[in-house]
Amino acid sequence: MKYFIYSSNSILITYNSDINSDLIQVLSSLKSKIEIDYEEYLIDTVQSINSLLVVFDSNKISVDDFYIKVKSIKTGKTKNKLKSKIWEVPVCYDPSYASDLEEFSKSKNLSKQDVIKIHKSKVYDIMSMGFLPGFMYLGNTDNRLYCERKPRPSLNIKKGSIGLALNQTCIYPQDSPGGWHIIGSSPINFFDLKYKSPCFAKPADKIKFIEISKSRYESIKKNKSIKPNSQII
Amino acid sequence: MIKVIDPGLYSSIQDNGRFGYRNIGVPYSGFMDNESAGLANKIIGNKESQSLIEITLMGPTLLFNNDYTLSITGGDFSSLINNDKIEMYKPIHVKLGDTLKINHTKSGARCYLAISGGIDIKSILGSKSSFKGITSSYFLKKGDEIKIINNDKSNFSFNCKSVFKIDSVLHVSKGPEFCMLKKDSLDMLFNKKFTIGINNRMGYNFNEKLQVGLKSIISSPVLPGTIQLTPSGNIIVLHRDCQTSGGYNRILQLNEKSLNNLSQLKNGNKTKFKLIN
Repeated sequence: MKYFIYSSNSILITYNSDINSDLIQVLSSLKSKIEIDYEEYLIDTVQSINSLLVVFDSNKISVDDFYIKVKSIKTGKTKNKLKSKIWEVPVCYDPSYASDLEEFSKSKNLSKQDVIKIHKSKVYDIMSMGFLPGFMYLGNTDNRLYCERKPRPSLNIKKGSIGLALNQTCIYPQDSPGGWHIIGSSPINFFDLKYKSPCFAKPADKIKFIEISKSRYESIKKNKSIKPNSQII
Repeated sequence: MIKVIDPGLYSSIQDNGRFGYRNIGVPYSGFMDNESAGLANKIIGNKESQSLIEITLMGPTLLFNNDYTLSITGGDFSSLINNDKIEMYKPIHVKLGDTLKINHTKSGARCYLAISGGIDIKSILGSKSSFKGITSSYFLKKGDEIKIINNDKSNFSFNCKSVFKIDSVLHVSKGPEFCMLKKDSLDMLFNKKFTIGINNRMGYNFNEKLQVGLKSIISSPVLPGTIQLTPSGNIIVLHRDCQTSGGYNRILQLNEKSLNNLSQLKNGNKTKFKLIN
């Protein structure tokens, strides 16, 4: 584990261990400890796949003093596991929402049905959010779905699209250009400014994809305020 | 109310930024040149963080439908009220029916137009700063009507001398992947000049290439001021609207003062990086 003074008001904590659910839990528990103990100094805590960036108010404390404080926090897995949630996200894999499914399946020597089956059979960790407000990096996918990003990004990926790249899958919370292979779409909102917390999920929560039909997709889409089901684990 | 007759090249409403939501992927946004923007507000008795209009390279034409007090700071843009030239870094009183025309820049890339009281729009996630995907409108358009918060008791006693100065030297500290740079890359980085290329509120590209072939890193947090090196050797300085994480090597970090300064540099300007501790 490495502590690094990233800027005059931020400290980066990086773990060198393998990326897995345990690491995500460790980061998440460190994040909440810092948020509880040093709330008065904090501007932001940003969790990514193997690191945590802590941004603080340098008018309130010097970077050297804050560095010492952060470093003194004991890390590791907590006995009381943090409450995280599994969210059930509806996905329609119909070709009309899956612009890259056919080509992707061919390139992997899999049938479209196989790709769908493999994709929805796993529960994914939300490893990080970024790129766009509410964009989720979910991992890890089954090795059979591993792929490079598309050589040319698509200019207009639709809101709700489910993508694959490297050993991750993602959800586009808004229309955007992007380089992930699109294999389906979810009709729900992933970033909604109507709510005080615009994202229903957070890093370290989990996502389970539930396959739905095209007609179900359309009917959920009409009911704008629908939130996915969740259970605490 | 202020009516937009002509929006200029790129004018947007900004305050000091949207903090506390990077963990869900929301950028900071906010004033590109914090120092100049803060002064524009101070001159007319606003809080330094108050919302105002950030203007890029070529200014807007605005019609006032009420009496206001305003100030303009930052890059040297010549400005006229009903054809009379006005001074920057001073409170200016305008009347209903007056027109303000901010021309293009003579030096610097951005100027700041603050209006006493600040801009009356809804704050979203704690900020009024424009950002696509967060605010419904993210730059001024012809015909827009900008509401101003009523303010009768401001004081204009803050006496300000223009301190505006553009520096070609950018002050940087080491980034987390600094150690990935080879000796000849370091020599080039700290001895050669770099030319500013395509740029916007998200980031600044440079025309010269540095070390080629660095493998991407696992997607990791970045901040405004983070200097990335792409596998093809391009240098990118991230700015206020930058995304929250990225997979390029983070070789350097620009300090806050130089980040303000960079926002006043233009395509084609030459700069040098200087390492500080």
